[in-house]
Amino acid sequence: MILRVTIAAAALLAAAGAARAADPARGQELYAQCIACHSLDGENGVGPTLQGVIGRRAGALAEFRYSPAMRRAAVVWDVTNLDRFMADPQTVVRGNRMPFSGIEEASDRADIAAFIAATAP
Amino acid sequence: MARKLPETDVVIVGMGWTGGILAKELAEAGMKVVVLERGAMRRPEEDFQVPRIRDELRFGSRTDLMMNTAQDTLTVRNTPDQEALPMRRLGSFLPGEGVGGAGSHWNGVNWRWGDMELQIRTKYEEKYGKAFVPEEMTIQDWGVTYAELEPYYDKFEKIAGVSGKAGNLRGRRIDGGNIFEDARANEFPLPPLEDPLSGVLFAEAARKLGYNPHPRPSANASRAYTNPDGSRLGACQYCGFCERFGCESNAKGTPNVTVIPIALRNPNVTLRTHSWVTTVNKDSDGRKATGVTYTNLLNGEELEQPAGMVILAAYGLNNAALMMWSGIGEIYNPSTGQGLIGKNYCYQTGTSAQLFFEDKFFNPFMATGSWGQNIDNFNTNWEFDRRPHNYVGGSTIAAGGSNGRPIEYRPLPAGTPRWGTEWKRATRKWYQGAMAIGASGSVMPNRANFLDLDPTYRNVFGQPLMRMTFEYKPNEIRMTEHIAGVINSIAETMGAASVNRAGPRRSWTVVPYQSTHNTGGTIMGRTPRESVVNKYLQSWQLHNLFVLGAGVFPHNAAYNPTGPVGALAYWAADAIKNQYARAPGPLVQA
Repeated sequence: MILRVTIAAAALLAAAGAARAADPARGQELYAQCIACHSLDGENGVGPTLQGVIGRRAGALAEFRYSPAMRRAAVVWDVTNLDRFMADPQTVVRGNRMPFSGIEEASDRADIAAFIAATAP
Repeated sequence: MARKLPETDVVIVGMGWTGGILAKELAEAGMKVVVLERGAMRRPEEDFQVPRIRDELRFGSRTDLMMNTAQDTLTVRNTPDQEALPMRRLGSFLPGEGVGGAGSHWNGVNWRWGDMELQIRTKYEEKYGKAFVPEEMTIQDWGVTYAELEPYYDKFEKIAGVSGKAGNLRGRRIDGGNIFEDARANEFPLPPLEDPLSGVLFAEAARKLGYNPHPRPSANASRAYTNPDGSRLGACQYCGFCERFGCESNAKGTPNVTVIPIALRNPNVTLRTHSWVTTVNKDSDGRKATGVTYTNLLNGEELEQPAGMVILAAYGLNNAALMMWSGIGEIYNPSTGQGLIGKNYCYQTGTSAQLFFEDKFFNPFMATGSWGQNIDNFNTNWEFDRRPHNYVGGSTIAAGGSNGRPIEYRPLPAGTPRWGTEWKRATRKWYQGAMAIGASGSVMPNRANFLDLDPTYRNVFGQPLMRMTFEYKPNEIRMTEHIAGVINSIAETMGAASVNRAGPRRSWTVVPYQSTHNTGGTIMGRTPRESVVNKYLQSWQLHNLFVLGAGVFPHNAAYNPTGPVGALAYWAADAIKNQYARAPGPLVQA
């Protein structure tokens, strides 16, 4: 787990050129914004579960009813594109149905992405 | 002959806010609960997803989440000398259907009704004298006080995730909140929502005139929230599809994302959807309910569900109809004043002005069900002297549009043609440049406004339709005359290019949509002589029958009814768990 966090944080630093290390503990708190729709326990809700999302192709869960845009998207989730997706979901997968206006703060997104990466099974 | 099922401890009719709360609370207290819901299952993750749920034609215009009038409806008339006709399409009000009930598609406006309402007769007679209340106005105290309900209002606000700002925290008046509200023990669980431009402009104008604007309390979560039960709400995205729709972001406090999923995970709860309850059964000496008879709508089979306790948690009007169909209590007769079932039926009234600005953009593409700013100077402000205006009751006045939906929302200055080139030009010009100031007003009960059974029309089960007789009376007309003047005086100060002025509402019709806040018919009170249920919502006649919902309100206030509906449900649940379960019998001695 610790190793994974370090790798995720390193990837983020490289991606965002950020001056601070991503903080998955803070990301866990910020994940409160996501959890009403996205569980981390494998159960799909209004949104697909984000358990194991890092390394997964977009629209890949058979049990979840994705938008056609998400099913067609040639995206494999990593901390970089998750970060961009959180900033504005429409710029990464145009036409997807996630009703969310985005997270403005880059450090918030980095921390959430680090947290999601750290929960990888 | 109905097939008889094994007996259960509790049977609940209806799975909306009140059915969900009671099912969860009683199951957690160890009771076996069967819930019968006439409509379909509704899960946010299945039924409220985008883009499906943003279909205005299906859900807004064709009211897909509402009661099906081909199955059951009401007949409607204004006065007792008229012949009532069936309401074949929904219009003025929209009873819900399906799991979540009207709680799944409400706007989220969540007020606490204080002692001005709960002790209405006492307070008006004290302040204005007995003669101020007209003889035909059958207002009465509710039998419960604000002090008793306060912890339950608090509980419901926390469960539904209500956003707002306190104006009276334990007696300390706080500017920026509603300073006229009864004292609350705690601040709202969530801070207020963002303000729309219309709310900002209205609040500025209202403050200049000496009024006290404050954000509307809203069960649209201003940020992500986990309630005390562990239910998780997302932050509102301001999409403008609240009322008539399910929430796609789990951001609206609904029973579908709070109490119902918890109840359904409890092995003590059995939910049967598509189950139409036709009768509450009672024992041979008429002292206890023995269960209910219902029809499985999927195969037409009639079933009897015996139960130790029956809880009516359908829409208020339907609870009254069930009591009438079951022969429990006497149906109200307006010519004698005798009978209590159907008595004190009330609706709401209101008026509004629309303001058009050349230089402002209100961005109606973003909205939420219950944002904006309100003034209560002519409502819960008890210092407001009703005497010069000669009416009982009050009105909220607010700005903050709940939607800008493409089919329904067409703000146009008065005199614009209804179709053609000029209509299109005006639609383009004003869609973004209009705002409204709206009042919601109370309706006091009147001897000539009531519910009973129609002598002619029947539903698909062969039962007589319930008949609604309702008209605005001089008390309510005088109120909208006064409030229209207040609204226009505020609107005039705001610098609009043109204003569609507010006017009084003089008569009620069943179209178009006005409000789903129907109250009365199974009213609560202090004695069996004046009420159907006691302060714990327990039937005076059958002590194991409880009736929930806004049907128990003896009058209708300006406020939306969900706050006291939720608080009274928790209050009744506590009374059942802590008192009735230990010693079954009347909780209040007649």
